[in-house]
Amino acid sequence: MTNSTMGKKRYKQTPPRPSFFKILQKNSLAILAIAPLLMGVIGLVGLFQVLVTPKTLSNLFQGNPIIDTMVGTLTGAVASGNPVISYLIGGELLGQGISLYAISALVLSWVTLSFIHLPAEVEVFGGRFTLYRNILAFCFTIITAILTTLTLSVLL
Amino acid sequence: MKNQDNPFTFRGKYFLLVVLIFYGVLFFFNSQTAQLALLKSSSVLKKILPILMFVILFTAVLNFFLQPKQIANHLDRESGIKAWIWALVAGVISHGPMYVWYPMLENLRFHGMRDGLIVVFFASRTIKIPLIPMMIDYFGWAFTLILSFYILIGALVQGLILENLTQNSIDP
Repeated sequence: MTNSTMGKKRYKQTPPRPSFFKILQKNSLAILAIAPLLMGVIGLVGLFQVLVTPKTLSNLFQGNPIIDTMVGTLTGAVASGNPVISYLIGGELLGQGISLYAISALVLSWVTLSFIHLPAEVEVFGGRFTLYRNILAFCFTIITAILTTLTLSVLL
Repeated sequence: MKNQDNPFTFRGKYFLLVVLIFYGVLFFFNSQTAQLALLKSSSVLKKILPILMFVILFTAVLNFFLQPKQIANHLDRESGIKAWIWALVAGVISHGPMYVWYPMLENLRFHGMRDGLIVVFFASRTIKIPLIPMMIDYFGWAFTLILSFYILIGALVQGLILENLTQNSIDP
């Protein structure tokens, strides 16, 4: 065996396992490093919850299924907070006769899309990944909302 | 992607600064709304702190028994259907807001986890197991089942599309 292959073999050997405390410390530091990002996002969440109320969001829907699906998707992306709020708004809208397309889109985009998370997502995962992921999530919110409503209308 | 072996630096300082400036301006013009927003933010922080603790502890336990490279080996480009199912299940059972999972996913991605799986994880998070009874109550069984089915299929398709869009690793 030559020296270089032995060197490669030595290089491939698994390093000794670090202690649990060391790993915990490393993970805690990783979270601490993104603390300003998290604080910024949380600050924005608070602002949006005060400035964009569920009532304001409900008033955006017009009764046109196509426009309302787009409005539902964008509203969910702008809004923030517990997904329960999206169910409450959805339930209220359903009572007002707003299409299920729009309500499904709202419920879906509430969790998967968020404008206020974008700066943090870009910082952590990079611009291209964030762009691709959000475009895909936006398109699939609409597709899933349409498919769900169509399937329901066929089955029931 | 940031190199995780870099010396410690705070990230998102300027973003936080912009948010603080926004709060400052709001305090100047409408201090009541700004105070209410601060209260809301602090309650969000209180809610996510336990989840953050869980994420730190969970990642540490995971990394103690399995080195990040070993985990990522099961989630890299050579990984099979199992990896997709793991990402789907992890997304469904993950709790709390999306951003609390960023550090763990960033760590796994740094060690080779494929981007398609991250997309699957995020997309499948729309299904919230603890909230399913409430969804059924509001929209009915049929709606909940059909929507959940399409969310899962959609999550996988999104992951596959992203894999095709990014043949090589993006944002190196």
